[in-house]
Amino acid sequence: MSVEPTDTRRRFLALVTKGLGAIAGAIAVIPGLGLLAAPLRKTTVRGAGQPLRVAVDHDVKPEKPIRVTAVGEQEDAWLRLDHVTVGSCWLVRATEGAPIRAFSTVCPHLGCGIDFDEKSTKFNCPCHASTFDLSGRCLSGPAPRGLDELDVSADGHDVLVRYQRFRTGIAKKEPIG
Amino acid sequence: MNTGPVPVLQPARKPTGGVAPLGKRSWLEERLGLAALEQAILGGQMPGGASLWHALGSVAAGLFVLEAVTGIFLSLYYAPSVQTAWASVAFIQDQLPLGWFVRGLHSFGSSALIVVVGLHLLQVLLFGAYRKPRELNWIIGLALFGVSTLFALSGYLLPWDQKGYWAKLVEATITGSAPVVGGAAQQVVQGGTAFGNLTVTHAFAAHALALPAVFVALVVLHIYLYRKHGPTPKWWLSPEQIAARTVPAWPYQSVRDAGAGLFVVLVVVCQVAARHGAALESPADPTSSYLARPEWYALPLFQLRMYFEGPLEIVATMVIPGLCTALLMALPFLDRAPSNRPVDRKPVMIAAGLAVVVVGALSAIALGKDAHDPLYAKARAAEEARAREARRLALKGIPAEGGLAVFRNDPLNHARAIWDERCSGCHALAGTGGDKGPDFKGYDSRAWIRGFLENPEGPLYMGTAKIEKGMIAVPGTPEELDALTEMVYVETGAPDADPAKAARGRSLVDQKDCDSCHELDGEGENAGPNLKGRGTLAWTEAVIADAGRGRLFGEKNKMPKFAGKLTPAEIEDLARFVIAQKNGP
Repeated sequence: MSVEPTDTRRRFLALVTKGLGAIAGAIAVIPGLGLLAAPLRKTTVRGAGQPLRVAVDHDVKPEKPIRVTAVGEQEDAWLRLDHVTVGSCWLVRATEGAPIRAFSTVCPHLGCGIDFDEKSTKFNCPCHASTFDLSGRCLSGPAPRGLDELDVSADGHDVLVRYQRFRTGIAKKEPIG
Repeated sequence: MNTGPVPVLQPARKPTGGVAPLGKRSWLEERLGLAALEQAILGGQMPGGASLWHALGSVAAGLFVLEAVTGIFLSLYYAPSVQTAWASVAFIQDQLPLGWFVRGLHSFGSSALIVVVGLHLLQVLLFGAYRKPRELNWIIGLALFGVSTLFALSGYLLPWDQKGYWAKLVEATITGSAPVVGGAAQQVVQGGTAFGNLTVTHAFAAHALALPAVFVALVVLHIYLYRKHGPTPKWWLSPEQIAARTVPAWPYQSVRDAGAGLFVVLVVVCQVAARHGAALESPADPTSSYLARPEWYALPLFQLRMYFEGPLEIVATMVIPGLCTALLMALPFLDRAPSNRPVDRKPVMIAAGLAVVVVGALSAIALGKDAHDPLYAKARAAEEARAREARRLALKGIPAEGGLAVFRNDPLNHARAIWDERCSGCHALAGTGGDKGPDFKGYDSRAWIRGFLENPEGPLYMGTAKIEKGMIAVPGTPEELDALTEMVYVETGAPDADPAKAARGRSLVDQKDCDSCHELDGEGENAGPNLKGRGTLAWTEAVIADAGRGRLFGEKNKMPKFAGKLTPAEIEDLARFVIAQKNGP
């Protein structure tokens, strides 16, 4: 037997082995990668998107923002919760009788929880020191945009807020989900 | 600190004439010694030639990799707790794209792994490969078989469905029945004094962390010893033939390994596709009386237990399996035959053959008994219906209590509340409720329809609505009325309707003058409702939404419109509730 045909056969069988192995591997890995990528195509956490009662009108005094939580329905993967804190926001009234505005407590920079400093009457981020005025405008720090304003509806007694989350770290206010 | 040249421990390579730039491969080679690794992995020889016989071990290893890969992907979505286990698996199965496929590969792959490991064990027995000097590798192999079954046992508890829960409960109780240490062992295995969250976390930790680590360590040792001693050649070859036919394992054996491995994977894929993945039964219900059956590989032990009652039970659950294991472990030391040839090892061959027959027979008896047991069939059908219902309800999201709480999503519960608020003012259910419309007791059952045909103005029917020029009683013999009843009944989509009888009913339509008020085509309008599809979900929804449409009750309608007052989902729930009245309250 000459060396050459054996060598060709060897190389061919080696190629076949690798091919068969690659097919078997692909059968396991490709659908698995589909699972890994599923969150790119699927909304996994979903709030009700409805106005939620967060406070009563007369509790919001001029230049004294209050922090309130929005409680409502939420879907989270397989779970459906009827009564859960979906988020919190600051309620602000500029002057007596002015309409109430709501700002998400999620810092538009990297998502930390926004605080309010009563002395300077400014909102500030405890993580990276961005500051915002009472109208939500960014005064200093790394935040790429002002505080995210939420839709408010008030019927004279109750304050209702439609809670939403927005992508952080970008200049544009872009809702998530 | 040390800025001087790094001392070179190896002598620099001599330039081999001309310019020889170091390629990528040799750069890595110098640092990693890949050639030696490649030689260690692929460099083995196959004395007596390559064969499919010798592929079984590699196929088992390949299946383990399949289990590991799919298992890791599944763990992205699985949450081990009583409240979340079933819910997360139902999410994987029914909501995650391809989740059912990956879970199916994992589940059927584990069955394939047990089959292949079993065949590998039989091949080793047949070839005498357990004999000197391979005794320890035989024992390691047995340990791997044991770990494979532990994988399976811990794995199918994880969905926390009826099957997993009850099978595991039986196993835990068997563990508890062991003398002296039983109680303590049971508490460790189930992670506490009773089944609960810690049972799931313990099973998950074992299945996903501890067992894989043990398995990999044993496999490395197993392969190392296999390579040290080499494969056991076919016994029918002479030493000269063995020497002459010896080939390198790569690629001659490897191609067989890969081919056989891919074949098994494809069989698994076909199973997964044909059954749309692995079964998921309804959430574990500790208060139910579930007809528990173990997975197929545990059926022989399940059946064996049937022959030992009361205090003798331990003979089947511990003594016989324990003795078999001990005998297998001791085999290489007991077998003193002069050669590997099966004829020289008759006792081993006979015992192994007998064991295969007994295991097969026990499984066959267990399966045969269930196959001919109407009670078992009924229990299975009930569980399958319950599982379908649970998974349908799970699509709406599962309450935080998890698992069984999914049944609270039942639209019938929800619909009952709507009924009480919106419908019960006019309609009654078995006499309780309003009296301005028909009573819905047994609505659209054969008896209800028959009663309606005989006396449409009766107090349970349209008599309450006081409709002018309403339906009139249908005259006819009992046979004719039965046929007409069936004609109406078949339109509801009832699975037990008799099409022949319904056809007979349709042949009477003209004679009985039904068609002067009722169309039968689903579209035409007339004085009475169009009978096509009457009583189906869509029809019932349409009536609730607006019963005054022409093809429904038209101008004779007195029921208010609910479209706009109820959401489409609420109308659907309510329609299901109305239809469900057919089978009684």
